[in-house]
Amino acid sequence: MNRFLAMETLRKWVPLLVLAGLCLFFTAMNPHFLTLRNFARIAISSSPALMVAIGVMFVILMGSIDLSMEGTVAVCAVLFALTLNALGGSIAGRGWVAIPVALFAGAVMGAVNGLVHVRLRIPSFMASLSLGFIGIGLSLLITGGDRILIDDPLFRSLLTVRVGGFPLMMYAALACLLVAWFIQDHTTTGRNFYAVGGGEELARASGLNVGRLRIIGFVLAGIFYALGAIFAVARLGIAETETGRNFMFMSITSVVVGGTALRGGEGGVWNTLIGVLIVNVIGNGMVVIGLADYFQDGVLGLLVITAVWLSTDRRSLSFVK
Amino acid sequence: MSFIRKYIEQQTINRRNLLLMSAYGLCGAAVTSAMKPYAAKAASSDPQIAWSYRDRTNPYWNAIVSGGNAFVQSLGKPERALINLINEGSSEKSLSDIQSLLSRYGSNVALAVDPNDMPNCRPVVEAVSKAQAYASTIWNKTDDLHPWDFGDHYVSHMTWSDVGPSEQTARVLFDAMGGKGGVVHLGGITSNNPAIERLAGFRNALKAYPNIELLAVQAADWDTQKANQVMSGFLTRYGDAIKGVHCASDTMAYGVIEALRAEGIENMPIVSYDGNPQAVDLVTKGKILATVFTNPYWAGGITASLAYYAATGVFKPSSEPKEHREFYGPTTLVTTKDARDFKVKYIDTNPNYDWKKFWALSGGQIQYK
Repeated sequence: MNRFLAMETLRKWVPLLVLAGLCLFFTAMNPHFLTLRNFARIAISSSPALMVAIGVMFVILMGSIDLSMEGTVAVCAVLFALTLNALGGSIAGRGWVAIPVALFAGAVMGAVNGLVHVRLRIPSFMASLSLGFIGIGLSLLITGGDRILIDDPLFRSLLTVRVGGFPLMMYAALACLLVAWFIQDHTTTGRNFYAVGGGEELARASGLNVGRLRIIGFVLAGIFYALGAIFAVARLGIAETETGRNFMFMSITSVVVGGTALRGGEGGVWNTLIGVLIVNVIGNGMVVIGLADYFQDGVLGLLVITAVWLSTDRRSLSFVK
Repeated sequence: MSFIRKYIEQQTINRRNLLLMSAYGLCGAAVTSAMKPYAAKAASSDPQIAWSYRDRTNPYWNAIVSGGNAFVQSLGKPERALINLINEGSSEKSLSDIQSLLSRYGSNVALAVDPNDMPNCRPVVEAVSKAQAYASTIWNKTDDLHPWDFGDHYVSHMTWSDVGPSEQTARVLFDAMGGKGGVVHLGGITSNNPAIERLAGFRNALKAYPNIELLAVQAADWDTQKANQVMSGFLTRYGDAIKGVHCASDTMAYGVIEALRAEGIENMPIVSYDGNPQAVDLVTKGKILATVFTNPYWAGGITASLAYYAATGVFKPSSEPKEHREFYGPTTLVTTKDARDFKVKYIDTNPNYDWKKFWALSGGQIQYK
């Protein structure tokens, strides 16, 4: 029994151990990896990904899946940039309105996603995937395929201004992470996500309005996708349909590698943070040690399988689907 | 219930008609093809014009389509008269879309197409040729496939040789670096022909500059975000040893510039390729030292125009010399010296091209190694 408990505790810490192991490995291969400047670079590429991963994590906690992030990020990024430029081009002036506009757009996309899933009883996988395509089409329609540039120095200071060696963007992302942690651990809604993910029948029998909760989960996810979109625009200064590219693979991989179970009810924001760092450390590390590019995708896939294998307890699974 | 009976009767008649008509059609087709296997069909007076390409999220394809639209408007038609077939990077979709178009309009089609990858070009032009329609291709074609082997229906092929221009941008870069120091190259998707040629051009230029050290070559898949991440990885790996960056496309250069800006590095010499409006703008500001303009607007218009005027019988492709059937598209080096003039002429407004001067900007017949 004691041995079982020890295994359980160890398994909880596996994602962190994987992260530490990766850092040691890359440092051994190239000492430049372990420098403040490089960690700042990893922090920049992780900030938008962290927001999107937290968003999809809420949905995964409930045992559903959301694949609409690429479309939602594209729409939010484009609307944010258009609003900012239309209102004077600076968030110091009236341009700050662009931030609530983007968050609202994210929430609306999430609500539509949730409503389609719950009211029309379409599996979340299909509903969100389709909505993602609609989002990409919508952003293409808005931009006509063009790129929108953001030159506002104040907004770009998220990337350019550093405190303690790290860009402002990272602190903003950490603040959002704390908000997500608060929602997860200290609100009824947050606890209910776990309840639904752990056993939907039981939650329903206890009188929980599961449909409503699911919609709230998708709205929350949409808002975090919008935050991800804003950070992505801050990082490159460009808003376009392509802004959403790659977020689906990146975010779901991060959530799973971090130890949040795809079947729901297990995991959380800290796991997601570790997961995002693992994926971005791998991405950065492979370039830093000079791994040939035709190996990189394959190595990433292998590392992801290993991390998931190490961090999930398969004895509690009756079957794997 | 009489309406049901009526409906069934109608359907039966329709089915009979359909069978009869298809039998008739098949015989007709068989007779026509048996009597004159490769002869051109009588020219169509008003063919449907279609452009088949990857997607519109990319500035390059966007410019191609604008050119196609401009050509259609030059015929006095509205923009929507151009049929857009978007293959989303799938050769299967490219071919099946074209087959649908051909079964809808038959020989009455003038098609401009990038077949997405080289092997897909043959089935595309064979389908077009079988339907007696007309097609002009750009970019992707295998070396053993030639328009003149298809009589009139495979009108022309245009591609761009990127080795020379890429070598020129590399030279601009190395001169700006003072002929010494470390350089990195960010390439496109490794298996793409333009990515291979642009890297080859870069390597050619390296031979002439012995004091330039090649630090790394890495694919960033034409993608801004990936290029951003790769560049920050390079900065960790090589730090101050990097004195210049050679990018195989403008979209990747944007990611590189932002990765450098995040570190407070503002004056790193960078060159790119494609001549997108944003890149030309950056060349005028000196943020990028050179890019290469391939005039996608003209290419989009002239490819549609070649297929259209061949279909309407304005010229007969098989009577044209080979250099009019397979030719290189235009390439223009844009540097900080001429970027301002260039922007006024090509970016702020599109020149008013005469779409009947098919080979006005041709760079000569395609040479095979």
